[in-house]
Parts: sequence; C-alpha cells; structure tokens
Amino acid sequence: MSKNKFVSPIGLLIVILCLFGSLSTHAMQLDTASASMFSDIPEDQEGEELPFTFDPETGKRVIPDSRCLDCHGDENEKTDVRDDGTPVTIYVEHEQLKASVHGEQRCTHCHTTIERVPHRKAPHVAVGCVDCHETTWEESKNNPEIESERLEVVLEQIHGYMDSVHALPYKHDQSRTNATCYDCHEAHNIGELGSIQRKEQRLKNPEICGRCHEKELEDYRDSDHGEAVLEHGDTDAAVCSDCHTTHEIESPGKDKVKLAITENCGDCHEDAQRTYFASYHGQVHRLGYTNTAKCYDCHGSHKIKGEDDPTSEIHASNRLENCRTCHENANDNFLSFWPHGDADDRENYPGLWFFKIFMQLLIVSVMAFFWVHVLMWLYREVIDRIEGKGLIEDLDNPEVVYFRRFPVVWRWIHALFAIATMVLILTGTTLLFSHTDWAKSVVRFLGGPEMEGIIHRTAAVIWLGIFAAHLAIAINNIWTNRATFKWFGSTSMLPNWKDWDDLKGMFKWFVGRGERPEFNHWTYWQKFDYWAPFWGAGVIGSSGIMLFAPETTAILLPGWMFNIATLVHAEEALLAAIFLNSVHFFNVHFRPERFPMSTTIFTGAIPIEEFKHDHRLEYDRLMADGSLDKHLVKRPSRRADLAASFITSVLIIAGLTLLTLVLYGVVTMPS
Amino acid sequence: MKTIVRNLLLTLLVLIPAAQATGPSPSAQALAFTCAGCHGTDGSSVGPSSPSIAGMDPDVFVDAMLDYKNDRRSSTIMKRIALGYTDEQIREMGFFFYRQQLRNRPQVTDPELVALGRKLHDAHCEKCHEGGGRPGDAGTLAGQWMPYLEHAMSDYLNDERPWPRKMERKVKDAIKAEGERAIPALIHYYGSQQ
Repeated sequence: MSKNKFVSPIGLLIVILCLFGSLSTHAMQLDTASASMFSDIPEDQEGEELPFTFDPETGKRVIPDSRCLDCHGDENEKTDVRDDGTPVTIYVEHEQLKASVHGEQRCTHCHTTIERVPHRKAPHVAVGCVDCHETTWEESKNNPEIESERLEVVLEQIHGYMDSVHALPYKHDQSRTNATCYDCHEAHNIGELGSIQRKEQRLKNPEICGRCHEKELEDYRDSDHGEAVLEHGDTDAAVCSDCHTTHEIESPGKDKVKLAITENCGDCHEDAQRTYFASYHGQVHRLGYTNTAKCYDCHGSHKIKGEDDPTSEIHASNRLENCRTCHENANDNFLSFWPHGDADDRENYPGLWFFKIFMQLLIVSVMAFFWVHVLMWLYREVIDRIEGKGLIEDLDNPEVVYFRRFPVVWRWIHALFAIATMVLILTGTTLLFSHTDWAKSVVRFLGGPEMEGIIHRTAAVIWLGIFAAHLAIAINNIWTNRATFKWFGSTSMLPNWKDWDDLKGMFKWFVGRGERPEFNHWTYWQKFDYWAPFWGAGVIGSSGIMLFAPETTAILLPGWMFNIATLVHAEEALLAAIFLNSVHFFNVHFRPERFPMSTTIFTGAIPIEEFKHDHRLEYDRLMADGSLDKHLVKRPSRRADLAASFITSVLIIAGLTLLTLVLYGVVTMPS
Repeated sequence: MKTIVRNLLLTLLVLIPAAQATGPSPSAQALAFTCAGCHGTDGSSVGPSSPSIAGMDPDVFVDAMLDYKNDRRSSTIMKRIALGYTDEQIREMGFFFYRQQLRNRPQVTDPELVALGRKLHDAHCEKCHEGGGRPGDAGTLAGQWMPYLEHAMSDYLNDERPWPRKMERKVKDAIKAEGERAIPALIHYYGSQQ
C-alpha cells in the first residue's frame, strides 16, 4: 500500500473529528432554534416544583393575588407613603373583592402594568376597564356558554361614558380624563345587581360625585333628597346618578340633559310626571324641547325641598317669583294655577274632574250616536243599491242640469274654514299627543313649538274671523229678508220638530221599517254639522283665547282656569277632529250615493236628480211656486269640476290622515 | 511534502467547524461554570463573602447583573464579569440558577439575636422578603452567609449601594426600634435558617 494512494491514520482521525465537529455544530444550532421557537423562557427541568412561575405564553411573571395582598391586604397598615412623601391608601378588602363581580379575576388581570412585586418603581396605576370589557364582550357575545347579557349592558354604559363629558380630557391636565371608571366605581367593590354592595355604593354616590362637584354636594346635603340619603341612609331617595344618569353625563346646559333630568324625576315621582305631561309645560317637554318649565325650574335642583319649607322654591311665599322667571308679568292669580292638576283626582281637583267627565261623556255620546248612525246608514244604502233602490246615477246620461245650492261666499268660507280647522287640528294635537313620534316629527318640521304656536294662533284667528264674518253675513241676510224670513221655516238652519221626525224616520228606514224621509233645504245632520262649530267656537275659542295670553287672562281669572281651559280645549278639539273627519266625511262624501266625494261645496251646484233625492220637499216647493228655474244652472265646466275634485280630494286625504294620527294618539296615550 | 500539505488541509477542515461552534451561545450551565469559583457549584456558595444564588429569582439575578454592568451597584470584580455576558446570556443564567436547589450550610448564630431578628423581620421585612427571606421575588436572605449580609448591609447603610424602594425606611425603622442590635439581629436570623 503506497502512502500516496491511501490516507494515513492521522489523516483519518482528523477526517472523523472533522465530520463529528460539523454534525455537533449543526445539532447545537438546531437545539437552540427549537428552544427559542417554543418559548422565551428557558425550559423547566422535568418534575421540579418551582416557587414561582412565568406564563409560558406571554413570558410574563405570574403574580399570585396572595403576593399582592401581603401588602394590600394588611388591615393594620392600610396606608403607605408615596415616594414624594404623600400618604396613599393601599388597602384592599379581599373578602369584599371576592364577593364582587370581579371576584374571579386576578389582581394583575386588571392591574396589567404591575410586572414585579415588590414594586421596583412607584407603580403606575392604569386600569383599562373599557378595553377589557370590549374584548370580553367580543369574545363572549357569540358564545352561548357565557352569560353575556350583563356584559352587554355594561358595554352600553361604557359607550355612554365614552360619549360623555367625563370621558373628555381634563382641562388642566390633558393627559387624563375628567373622570374615569374607578373615580366613581369603587374598583374592588363592584357588586352584582341587587347586592348589598350596590346599595352601599348608592349611598356613597353623592359623596363620590362631590369629590369634584363640591358646590353641588353642598347644596344637595341641604335638600330633602340629601337629608334622606346622607343622614338617614334611605336608598330609595334620589342620588346624583338618578337625575343626571350614570354614564351619559353631559353639561346640564344642554337640552338633551335637561330633558333627561326631567324625565328621570318621573322614575320616582310618577304621578307628578303624569300630571306634568298633561300640562302645556310637560307637553312641550315631551316633544323634545326645553323652552317651557321643567321640574327643576319650579322645584329647584340640588337644593330641592318640600313646599312646606320656607326656603323651598315652591313654598307659597316664593312661588310667584318662580313663575315670573318665565311669565314676567305674572300676578297673584298665577298662584292658584295647579301645575300638577290631576283631572282623575276627584278629591283634590273636583272642578277639573267634573270638566273631564263632562267632556268625555260628550265625546263618547256624540261619537257613539253618530258612528251608529253612520253604520246603519251605510248598511241601508248598500242594501238599497243591491235592490236597485235609491239614487243611482245613469252613467249613459250624465246630468246636465244642476241646482245652485251655495253662493260663492259660502264656498270660500267653507274652504277657508276647513283649511284653518285642519291646521288647528294638526298643530294642536301635536301637543295633546306629544308622546307620539309623528307629533315630534311634525313639530320639528314646523320649526319647533314656538313656530308651531304662531301657526296655531294664526289659524285660530283666521278660524274665528271666518266664524265672525259668517255670522255677520247670516245676520245681514236675515235682516235683509226679515219680512219673509221664517225662523223655523224650510230654509232656516234652526232645528225644528221636522228634524226630530226626520231623525226618527231615518232610523226606521235604516232598519227597513219605513221609507227614507223627504227633506227640506237643510237636513238634520247638516244642521248638526252647522251648529256644532258654534259650540266648538264657544268652547275651543274661549278656552283658546284664555291660553293665548295667560298673563292677560290672569288679570281677570284665577290660575286654575288655565287648567280647565287646557282640558276642555283639548277634549273639544279631539271631538271636532274625530267627528269632522269621520262622520261629516261619511255624511257628505263616503255614503254609497255620494262615494267617493261630493264637490258641491266647491262648485256650489248639485245635480238636479241628487237634489231632488236629498231635498225633495224643497224641490216640490220650488216647483209648486214656479221658482225652481231661478236656481237651475248648467253643469260646471270640466275645469271647474276637476279643480273642485282636486281640492276636495286633498282635503279628504288630509282629513283622513289627521283622523289616523289622532286615533293613533288616542290609542297610544300613556295611562 | 504532499503529505504535509494534505494534513494541513485536513487540520483546517477540523478547525473550521470548531471555529463555527463558538458562534452560538453556549448553554446556560456552561456559562454558569464561571460563577462556581465564588458562588459554589450550581450557585450554593461555600465561601463567606459571596452570596448563594441558587434558587434565586431570575429577575432579581438579571437586575443585579445589569446593575453591575451599568455601574448602578458597587463591585470589586462583578462588573468585569457581568460585562462579559450579553443580556440574553444573563437571562439564561438567571433561569439556570433559579432552577438550582439552594443548599445552605450551618452557621454559628446567637439564639437571642436570632429571636430578635425574627421579630424585626416579621415587623419590617416580611412583606417583601416573604417566608422569612427565602428565595423569592425580592431576593434571597434566608441561609445567606452572614459575612456577606454584613457587607451588603454596610454598603446600604454607607450609601455605597442604592436602596431598593422602601427598604431604607423599613431598615431604619428596625434600627429605630432596636438600635445597633437591629442589623446583627437580622443577620443572625437569616444566617440561622437552613
């Protein structure tokens, strides 16, 4: 074997060492890589029990609660000294914490900035309640195994807080908020719903808010609420958060807050709120506006006291001054106004109760009678038409001869009257039904309650003006024709025995026990439609004038008249709104002989056959005395007919819409 | 000649991987060998002036080494030693010693001082050095060599070593309570523990 052809033993050894070296180096690199892949923490020796541990996922030290409680659970040393020498309370009552909603959480679950104990540096206490709750909610909301209902409520509160003034940066130190969760919540003592902790926390609420709101706390201490809570431990009495809400705290100068506070008073003072909402003050409030008196405008806010206390804002000696905040010229008569007058309280407000009962009986009886009248009439006409009786229009031969029933002046008066009435109903019922969304939308559309008031008053003036003009024309007509005018004659609007007989005759006809009565110039239902506004004008007009200018009214009338005026104004308007848009519409437009509408009130002319059918006695009388021809006119032009149909349609649709809104308001009216 | 050249080339082949092997960090155990001379095998010190570091909290170990390295703690030779390691190596060494069983050796103590030391410890030191100063997140006191503890306390009291937060107040409260006997009592108490 030649030395040149074969590797020497030394060379072979070197090669083996070389291979081993390479392999071991690679093996070492692989070990290092695999160890660092799995964890930052050097691996534990198997089976060895360690005195403290590190989280294998985060690499962070696991600090057991017991370690924190060595210092923070020592009830003999509840305070410590900060590095700057100031004292600090460090005690946490562990049993209390365990019983709280966070009892299952570890200390470091919330105190995430604490990585070492004992604290090497002054600990930076920063607890991310919001972040943790949002994360927890995200993790649990779709997990049926986790009780998340309460978490959702908490999250809603958090969102309320985030939009509140408390979550804004503190003016004098932008690095922190005005208030954060644990400024108000006792961090280690948040009880479950209904727990004693909650009740205890409730009693502490004023003192907690008072840490920042010192003046308000001072005032509150002196109030009936404050005395009950702070001195007598009454958990039912109002604390700050009952009025100001818990989380959606905003400046009390904002409308949203004013409304919320007023709304919140009613959580305890239900009757007071119910009666307040029945008043004009409350109706405007419920529409979402704050330009009328709210609870605290009269009762005071933080210093609130009962009316017997001489320092109370509602004490008899202070009340007038209170009224004059808004009603500058209020006189002593304002003192007899019942701000919380309750029409259902017969004992304390018998006058108001009487008027309510009277008005409601009137509404029920009128509507019951006429709705029965409507239904029976509908039934009879439908049956008659099936049997080929009654007025059936000959479509092949349309009427060409018409009877002039209304002169131009009455047609204009009716049109303006109808429009003004509808405007009054719309603007008035927004107050009456201020609880509905439609009322809020209408008022918003109109530009707020002040503009709505202007529109309502303008329409009222037009309405009364038309009424007065009509009276003047009617009186003039009677005076002009005084030689021949018969007060109870066939063309008079005054009711007479014939009307009574016709009414009975109609009911007989409805039930098939007689022929349809024959009528004069005015039927009994037309006379009712005519005279009803007289009653309405009296009741709604007089009460409306009283409410129009309260300070002037109070010169003559006691304050409680406002209560009665408000009640009857609303009830009578309700009756008119329902009657006109249901019974009157049926009588004139919707009964089968007239359906879908009659345009006579706008064209002034009625087809002769229809006139003959509805006013047979007058037709016969005019034929007999030969004067019929004087009243006959040609069929209205196509343009006039279209215009009248259009106006009538608009008014009918408007009326039916109003009726729907009003009935919806009645049905949904809070009890 | 050819044989010489060949052998030289083969020698290079052996040395290249060997040189590569010095790149990655040696194991924590290997790093800790360096400490054995003063701190004993696996960190249980046999000498009177070096502390036992077996079972020591890894963060406390790292704190100490970084303090030496960055001149925050006075030392004789520890700064030079600490400078020889990367922060990662120090961390690995910390976990290595953390896993070692602390083996204390008996020391001669005065029972009276031990009793007083226990009382002072319970009143002023236990909250941080819990379990009588056993290895924990505030370091190891129980079973430490008493001469080392004397040196350490002397450093603190002479402002040669920065006080850990709150410790100065606590130590001075103990001295206020028991005067000059306070420090020896605490040292005897810790030295008495096995």
